[in-house]
Amino acid sequence: MTEKYSFSLTTFSPSGKLVQIEYALQAVASGAPSVGIKAKNGIVIAVEKKQKSPLYENHSINKVEPINSKIGMVYSGMGPDFRLLVRKARKIAVKYEYTYHESIPVSQLVQKVAAVMQEYTQSGGVRPFGVSLLIAGFDEDKPYLYQCDPSGAYFAWKATAMGKNYINGKTFLEKRYNDDLEIDDAVHTAILTLKESFDGQMTEENIEIGVASSDGFSLLEPAVVKDYLAAIQ
Amino acid sequence: MANPFEYNGSAVVGMIGSGCVAIAADRRLGIQGQTIATTFDKIYPMNESLYIGFYGLATDALTVSSRLKYQLNLYQLRENRQIKPKAFMHMTSNLLYSKRFGYYFVEPVIAGLDPVTKDPYIATMDLIGCPMETKDFVVVGTCSEQLYGMCESLWKPDLEPEDLFETISQALMNAVDRDALSGWGAIVHVIEKDKVTTRTLKARMD
Amino acid sequence: MADGTARVKGGFSFELCKRNEMLKKAGMKFPQPKKTGTTIAGIVFKDGVILGADTRATEGTVIADKNCAKIHYISKNIYCCGAGTAADTEYTTETISSDIELHRLSTGRKPRVATACRLLKQYLYRYQGHIGAYLVLGGVDTTGPHLFTVHAHGSTDKLPYVTMGSGSLAAMAVFESHYTPNMGVEEGKKLVRDAIAGGIFNDLGSGSNVDLCVITADGVDYIRPYDVANVKGERVGDYTYKRGTTAVLDTTVRHFEIVSERVQSTESMET
Repeated sequence: MTEKYSFSLTTFSPSGKLVQIEYALQAVASGAPSVGIKAKNGIVIAVEKKQKSPLYENHSINKVEPINSKIGMVYSGMGPDFRLLVRKARKIAVKYEYTYHESIPVSQLVQKVAAVMQEYTQSGGVRPFGVSLLIAGFDEDKPYLYQCDPSGAYFAWKATAMGKNYINGKTFLEKRYNDDLEIDDAVHTAILTLKESFDGQMTEENIEIGVASSDGFSLLEPAVVKDYLAAIQ
Repeated sequence: MANPFEYNGSAVVGMIGSGCVAIAADRRLGIQGQTIATTFDKIYPMNESLYIGFYGLATDALTVSSRLKYQLNLYQLRENRQIKPKAFMHMTSNLLYSKRFGYYFVEPVIAGLDPVTKDPYIATMDLIGCPMETKDFVVVGTCSEQLYGMCESLWKPDLEPEDLFETISQALMNAVDRDALSGWGAIVHVIEKDKVTTRTLKARMD
Repeated sequence: MADGTARVKGGFSFELCKRNEMLKKAGMKFPQPKKTGTTIAGIVFKDGVILGADTRATEGTVIADKNCAKIHYISKNIYCCGAGTAADTEYTTETISSDIELHRLSTGRKPRVATACRLLKQYLYRYQGHIGAYLVLGGVDTTGPHLFTVHAHGSTDKLPYVTMGSGSLAAMAVFESHYTPNMGVEEGKKLVRDAIAGGIFNDLGSGSNVDLCVITADGVDYIRPYDVANVKGERVGDYTYKRGTTAVLDTTVRHFEIVSERVQSTESMET
């Protein structure tokens, strides 16, 4: 019944732009900064997790999420939108594994998640997602890092930054990145990139780091993050 | 009327050798006792080093093989790589199990080499897709009991391609000679990492 | 199906039912799916649970698989033995394993055995026994070790020692006479082995080897095989046909280029 009258919110402006998508990108660009760096033997994704009030229970917020044993995901933008995409991504990954008894290649997961995001730019009664994703994973024996935008566009990166101050972040990465980084170096560089735009004291409580290597994807424990931070100061 | 598995008659074998696999089948197509064709293919190539052969109702074998080919083509276009035999086996198994309550009358044999590691692989499954992977041989057919006997005594580990050919051919031909429904010629594919050798065999035509 | 990725989970296709019903009416005799005439068993011991299974799969009276794996993975801390229709046990456990994995990811907690049990019974009850999976489910979670049986119609039991399958009577006889609470690991493994061996030697539907799966709070020890009940004799004669024995009508060879090659060592042969 509603189908007949529900137009997509995302309609072209006379100049050929989809302004809803541009607004979505605005939401991303004002979201918390996140960064992804590919190392020789793995990928590091990191995100700022600063709370507006000290009254927040810190453990209740997770921004780096595992999708399966090998792939992890992080975002800049709107948290609730991210949770929906995480749920869909996990379902896609589990279904692929169920079908082929092989874990899903990162590129396949990215393509399917991007397809979901694209669908929300062209369907009735919905709005585009207010998030950009970084999807990191290790398959066969190669590391992969992808970014997915609200439009459904996706890119493979050696290193990138998203969210607030992402231009500075990217400039910083362009200077610091080289092809021989080890995971440890990449974690350092990721922290330093976040630091570029970080307001106040960075602690193990207000950043989150995930690492994908040939052993699989895992979140770094706060204690480990603390050690990395100590090494930087 | 007979059992749908005994309507057309067939025998298919898969065997592992050293760095190679072989898949063989008889070539008879019958309608119960009446022979319709003696050059009927029961083994279908899925890609250059992956083959699937079917035992059972010929019409279902054709349907299943083309459905699989369709799914496989989509897979290979989507992922831009060759499928691993194991993944293909699960694809087949899923198709058969999705028809758990109204099944195809086929039991497949899958034989192939891994596109990356070149490891030999064989598998079979029952009509509703319960997978069975082995490291020696798999058999299906109206003469499966004879085939089990032949393979249990002829097969040994690490057969070279040439010896694997003799072993699988003799196992198949001697088994179908004790089965009225299968036989009338045979075809053998030996899959190696750089080539596939297909031979048709001289067999009893009675 | 349209994109070739998969059937929807639990979504069966009934498009061939009408045809098959017609064939049945026309007098076609129907073949039976592969059954695992089976002995499976499990016990709760001091530190966890031990699951056991034989490794024979049958099609009628023919042994279709001499070494099949009947202890299926559910999650890192939960495993499940299957008896009944082989494909059903395989797919039921796999479906529930996928569901449990999604549940684990979204809750961020270690899965509980009771959760797996409930998912299994609800799934099987929905199909009113037409999915012929008879299961022994065991695992260790935050609330301790748990052992269940799940029947195809959806009923479940929670007991300290259980058996299932056509060899269940033989196996239960062993448990009834020798099981004691709080057994040690080795003692427990031996008991489950004896129970499965009871099935292997006294039930024609069960045979070959004994597989065990020991689950404790520290992890899982999947032993396959734990015991080879019947060692195959060494073949004395050599029946290999000489090259050139088979009369060939014609030969075609298709060569292809090797684009890349990677060598991986393979496991040794087991029969």
